[in-house]
Amino acid sequence: METKKEAKHEAPAKQEVKTQAPAAKDAAAPVKTGPSEKPRIGVFICHCGTNIAGSMDIEAVGEYSKTIPNVAYVDNYKYMCSMPGQAVINKAIKDNKLTGVVVAACSPRLHEPTFRTATKEGGLNPFRFEMANIREQNSWVHMHDQEGATDKAKDAIRIAVAKASLLQDLFPKAVPVEHAAMVVGAGVAGMQAALDLANAGIKTYLIESQPTIGGRMSQLDKTFPTLDCSQCILTPKMVDVGRAANIELMTYSEVDAVEGYIGNFDVTIRKKARGVLTPAEAEARGIVGGGCNGCGDCEPVCPVIKPNEFEVGMKPRRAIYISHPQVVPLIYTIDFDSCIKCGLCVTACGPEKKAVDLEAKDEFVKVKVGTAILATGYDMFPVEKKTEWGYKKFENVISSLEFERLICASGPTSGHLVRPSDGETPKRVAFVLCAGSRDNTGNGKPYCSRFCCMYSLKHAHQIYEKIPGVQAYLFYMDIRSFGKMYEEFYYRIQDEGAKFIRGRVANILEDPKTKNLHVHTDDTLLNRPVDMEVDLVVLAAAVQPKEDTNRTRKLFGVSCSMDGWLLEAHPKLNPCGTTTAGVFLAGVCQGPKDIPDTVASAEGAASAASIPIHKGEVELEPYFATCIEERCAGCGMCISLCPYSALALVEKEGRTVMEVTEAKCKGCGTCGGFCPGGAIWMNHFATPQIVAQIDAFLLGGEQ
Amino acid sequence: MVRSKGYPEALEKKLRDQRYFNEDTNPEFTKNVKGISRTIAHMCYQCGTCTGSCPSAPRSTYRIRKFMRRAVLGLENESLTDPDLWLCTTCYSCTDRCPRDIAPTDVIMAMRNLAFKRDIIPVNFLKTVQAIYSSGHGVPNNDVNRAARERIGLTRDPPTTHMYPEYIKGIQKILDHYKLKANADRIVKEREG
Amino acid sequence: MSEAKHKFAFYLGCIAPNRYPGVESASIKAMKKLGVELVPLKGASCCPAPGAFGSIDLNVFYAMAARNLVLAEQMKMDIALVCNGCYKSIWEVNHKLKHNKDLRDGVNEVLKEIDMEYKGTINVYHTAELLYNDKFIGVEKVRSSVTNPLTGARIAVHYGCHLTKPHKDREFEDEVMLNTEHPSWMEELVAAIGATPVEYRNKMQCCGAGGGVRGYDIVHALDIANEKLINLKAVGVDALTDICPFCQLQFDRGQIEIKEKFGVSYDLPVLHFAELLGLAQGMSPQDLGLDLHGISCEPFLQKVL
Repeated sequence: METKKEAKHEAPAKQEVKTQAPAAKDAAAPVKTGPSEKPRIGVFICHCGTNIAGSMDIEAVGEYSKTIPNVAYVDNYKYMCSMPGQAVINKAIKDNKLTGVVVAACSPRLHEPTFRTATKEGGLNPFRFEMANIREQNSWVHMHDQEGATDKAKDAIRIAVAKASLLQDLFPKAVPVEHAAMVVGAGVAGMQAALDLANAGIKTYLIESQPTIGGRMSQLDKTFPTLDCSQCILTPKMVDVGRAANIELMTYSEVDAVEGYIGNFDVTIRKKARGVLTPAEAEARGIVGGGCNGCGDCEPVCPVIKPNEFEVGMKPRRAIYISHPQVVPLIYTIDFDSCIKCGLCVTACGPEKKAVDLEAKDEFVKVKVGTAILATGYDMFPVEKKTEWGYKKFENVISSLEFERLICASGPTSGHLVRPSDGETPKRVAFVLCAGSRDNTGNGKPYCSRFCCMYSLKHAHQIYEKIPGVQAYLFYMDIRSFGKMYEEFYYRIQDEGAKFIRGRVANILEDPKTKNLHVHTDDTLLNRPVDMEVDLVVLAAAVQPKEDTNRTRKLFGVSCSMDGWLLEAHPKLNPCGTTTAGVFLAGVCQGPKDIPDTVASAEGAASAASIPIHKGEVELEPYFATCIEERCAGCGMCISLCPYSALALVEKEGRTVMEVTEAKCKGCGTCGGFCPGGAIWMNHFATPQIVAQIDAFLLGGEQ
Repeated sequence: MVRSKGYPEALEKKLRDQRYFNEDTNPEFTKNVKGISRTIAHMCYQCGTCTGSCPSAPRSTYRIRKFMRRAVLGLENESLTDPDLWLCTTCYSCTDRCPRDIAPTDVIMAMRNLAFKRDIIPVNFLKTVQAIYSSGHGVPNNDVNRAARERIGLTRDPPTTHMYPEYIKGIQKILDHYKLKANADRIVKEREG
Repeated sequence: MSEAKHKFAFYLGCIAPNRYPGVESASIKAMKKLGVELVPLKGASCCPAPGAFGSIDLNVFYAMAARNLVLAEQMKMDIALVCNGCYKSIWEVNHKLKHNKDLRDGVNEVLKEIDMEYKGTINVYHTAELLYNDKFIGVEKVRSSVTNPLTGARIAVHYGCHLTKPHKDREFEDEVMLNTEHPSWMEELVAAIGATPVEYRNKMQCCGAGGGVRGYDIVHALDIANEKLINLKAVGVDALTDICPFCQLQFDRGQIEIKEKFGVSYDLPVLHFAELLGLAQGMSPQDLGLDLHGISCEPFLQKVL
């Protein structure tokens, strides 16, 4: 580390470079003025270990920085973000009476807050800090061009100094945080998150698009590796959710619109037309003691029969239905897409309950929340697209989710595994792993779906438990039994008699007479091609985000990653957050997970989501627009341009001028760029500051 | 590890050290195979879909998956001297189904091209080259067929190089550019005298 | 249908003109009846056989295929062909050269020596594709052109390999042709000429002839074909139809070789779809040169004529 004595240097007054003069005529009237003395900028260059130092000549950059106008101090350090690094800044501000700080290092997305704090602790307003990204946008992409990288770093610092010279004291606005949260999706992730938030004393809106909560876990028979009955361990949670005072459960509902920002989200919820009144809704209409009590009298009289989605289409339901007996809430739902409005259910329900309302329409409800968690779960990949395996073509090729329902005692066959073609009990069952996963053909998913190895082991166990004399074959590329007690589970299943054949299934053919399947692969360990005749094939199909998630995530401003799952703020250090403040992720919507990891991520999301609420207020970065009232003509043309409706015309001392609602303003710059009179000042991105940066880049530098 | 044990020939062969050693790998071979086949041969994860799809595998010792492994590990000699290299019918079922989007068939073709450079080539291929050089056709016309063509109202020879032998020169120029005919003739002579 | 709506340069290959000329004749006549004119492509050579030739030197393979393509470019006509193997050489090389400058430059360097230049101006089609695709002909038009429906004939289809595989390297307007696992478009055409299409086990398997294997290890190649013949016998068919003369040779002459080497016989007539279509449109077996077939087509003809 170079000592300060060598680095200390007074910026020469002259210089061919005129970085300081803001070319714009409207140099006047910044709204909040800082001390109007000559700028004294400190430049601190980070090595970031070899991340930056390995690609460029830090010393040369430092030497150059000394020549930039307004630079009063230059230093460098291995890790500026470390404690000693911060101390360097702190001391330098005080010793050199700096008026602004430039740190040339990584992306502000990473450490801007850190260095702002250092600036503040050194005695300056934290917004007198500017960061030059010489890592992500320089060193990391120019690793083989030392000279180019060094020159580019010099430019970056020169530009940053030009802006830092014009930065002003700014004061973040604290806004109150609504003491309420929202969880979108009520599978095990959403339910867990909602319970945690509710138990922390936070009113939580739990939105679920299906008529019942429970999600995928409700559809499972048993869970690995404990072999708990899935619905049995889930039901207590479902009941808790239904009962919790702090949880307002809205099933058969979807998020329709989201406005606002962290601490103050205005969410519009579409309550889909259920056609059936809850007791509360009936009461509100004056039907005392009425509303649906889940008696089920309506169901048998309904003439419309549809496939039950919960049973993956293997069991029928009526147009008025509940998915399964343990639904929460226990309220029937009418599928208006298939209902013929015959009214038989109305009669069956009777004059006392009067719970059916065939004229029901979607309702919209607006709620205000401080933070939101997305827990929208997954769908199965449509594995019929992989035509080589014959799904939806050969009757006895089924998907793993269909297997779950068949093997489940509350499923379409009361837990008896039968062949769809003839109802016989299969004696030879093939489990095809990686069906559609780890697939780079473009017709499939390139990622590993994570939990299929484990549930296939579980499936093998289940058939050994139920069918004496059965033989299970697992066709795999790898067995990924990564979690706690998972390898032991693999050992157990192999011990129970399952045969593991290491080969990805090439194709499956059907015997047209017996409807048996021939599974073709290569036993790579035995080095022999295989033609295995089996009675039933179960495809461990890939999973993918639920289709509607794409719409919902956009409402909340959440991106998705290359693989389609929702994008976390940082894959290692912030897997539950997103880059949108106040919005968090829980469960499989962020990426495939088993139940333990899902619950853990839900708890993590709930914890993160509760922090701003418990703090009670959140600081907004002061990047808002401000009106330079002396210049404002009150024309009002900016008002309609604002995408966030943050501007309004007001009367002030007899004049009509524009006023900004700072909490709504996102600092997008639309108004500032437009105002014909130059009367709008964009804090921290003001025109003179930007122009100074442009001038510094184009006109400055070594020629 | 010992490469040569100094045993009498029969024992040297029987007891040779069959382990894989570092020097068995020739990275140039992997590079050449990838270059000629224009496929990402090095990405194979040995899933077995290819051999599972192969019509030749059940009736021989030919294993496309093994050849892919050899391509990944750069095992040049083993690949090019294995007579099973010529049992691929190029049905492309493996390529059609490979989850890593590799073309194993093209890897075989690349290896065959490289084998030919070492004069390793079954003679039937060379006969095809000779037929094309002289007539332009791999399966040339014959008199029985000419008579049949005439009977059914076609010209005795099709309007190919058969009817227009002046085009054969062009074909010969192409083959000569790559010295194909010279090499084919030479190898045939060596084999058949 | 006197004025042909579509014209193609007819690329013949080797086995069709030189061993099964009925395929050539039937194609020309049948397509003409359906509004497609097949014009002679002067000076064409072997495609070259992708398995036999490509195994030796792919550079020569590209150059020779390109030469054939240039002949059609010079005629300013798209190519129509009747053979899967030729499809792989002609269509795929055309496709690869259009999209890869390095290959194109390499090929043109050689073609320069014979005053030719590949420009990538034409397209290539298999006649089976033209028959199925509504843009050119379509199943309904095929159906209406039939005067002698092959009623009562149970006919199985051998699709072959090189027309549709690998599907990721193929571009058909009819997406159903991209299905390499359970296609049924040829069965539609078989039904259109009045016959009964029959499914059989593992119908998409290779005939075994390709890649030079028929020349290298005939017994191995025949065993692959024999597996299909066993599966065909199990369902009972009157004929097997194909869209590749090389597959046809393998199954037709192959049955004679199989009888000789394995001691089993099937007496299953093997006909290219062009020959079947010719029959259905009223051409006589003599016109189709069916007497040249290794396996007698008599029993089949008895049934349909």
